[in-house]
Amino acid sequence: MTSLLKIMDVEKNVDTLHLGPIHLTIEPGTITTMVGANGAGKSTLFKLIMNLVKRDTGSIQLLDIETNGSDESWKQHITYQAQTVIGWEPFTGTKLKDFISSLYPHWNEALFQKIVDLLQIPLDERFAKLSQGNQQKLQLALALPRNTPLLLLDEPTSFLDIPAKQKLMNLLVEWMEQGDRAIFMTSHQSADIMKLSDYIVVLRNGKLMNKFEKESLIHRHRRYWISEQLPEEGIPGEIGRSTRYLVSNAPEQTESFLQQEQITWTQQESLDLEEILTQLIERR
Amino acid sequence: MELPIYLSKTSREPIYHQIENQMKTLIASGQLTKGMPLPSIRALAKDLETSVITIRRAYQNLEYQGFIQTTQGKGTFVADIDHDMKQQMKVAEVYQAMEAAVEIAFKYDYTAEQLKKMCLEVIHKKGGNQT
Repeated sequence: MTSLLKIMDVEKNVDTLHLGPIHLTIEPGTITTMVGANGAGKSTLFKLIMNLVKRDTGSIQLLDIETNGSDESWKQHITYQAQTVIGWEPFTGTKLKDFISSLYPHWNEALFQKIVDLLQIPLDERFAKLSQGNQQKLQLALALPRNTPLLLLDEPTSFLDIPAKQKLMNLLVEWMEQGDRAIFMTSHQSADIMKLSDYIVVLRNGKLMNKFEKESLIHRHRRYWISEQLPEEGIPGEIGRSTRYLVSNAPEQTESFLQQEQITWTQQESLDLEEILTQLIERR
Repeated sequence: MELPIYLSKTSREPIYHQIENQMKTLIASGQLTKGMPLPSIRALAKDLETSVITIRRAYQNLEYQGFIQTTQGKGTFVADIDHDMKQQMKVAEVYQAMEAAVEIAFKYDYTAEQLKKMCLEVIHKKGGNQT
């Protein structure tokens, strides 16, 4: 399968942040979520992809077309939903829809209407007058129907109410099923990540860590409840402990060590995604 | 359509395997019958909060073993499985549950005799014949 998006050796200095070198590919049929602390450079990476921020070095290709070259045909194949949009304030939803739908040859009007109905988005008010939540809903209603192979969503659910979040999940699932498409998104909501993501990438100190498949990531982070005294020195796989439990990211090694030391555990379980991500984002 | 599948955080059994086994049970017990449409891979991944990679693996295994069938463009359906296979599944499920109970009992140092006694008590309590 060929990649929709190929990011190779990309580096960028922005103020005090050095981003990169970044390598990442996005394959059709997948949803990848990028997580990282505030200010880690997630939005900057999206802007680099869109060529809204110029890269210092490296290559970014959408369907094999460099996004900083003179051939701008790639723009028809990607939808980018930023956290904040500039220039929409004076226009109503209807007006914005007229502008945007004319730019995308595969615009799906029925889907737009469906999202508007489902999320009850007011179309005749100026964008500036809408609440943050309604602005975000309108942005989504104007993003999904473009039907581009790649959808970049920068924190798409941060202002949504609970029912809207649920509806959006279903909309995104349906959207994915329409063809060989992919979503690359950022989110701080572990519920979004649990329900939608296949892969997780972590951006830390400007570096992008490996692409993790969600289940294998969860499966190999385990907590062992132990009532005996643990040895002081580090246990293989140990990434945390308290007086009652041990946390490991290498269960096989940990278990064989514990067995060898004849330390028994009363219970073991996988960690919640939120705990795992905290670990990955904050690990030094 | 949603499926009553519950994934265990405490099990070391891989998630795709848990899904596979629970779907077999749903089919063997008749809760899912021949020809019933199954959720798409993406939709089930959302419901069970897994990746599509996991669901695809479970579906592939189920298809390979003849429990489900995928028709291009139409979706995935419960296959026609024979009576013997259903029987085997039922035996396997009960056996697995008993094994798990025995494992816990041994962890607490119960003897085989104590365990047998307990087992008969449970059978009695649930209204079964104690012969």
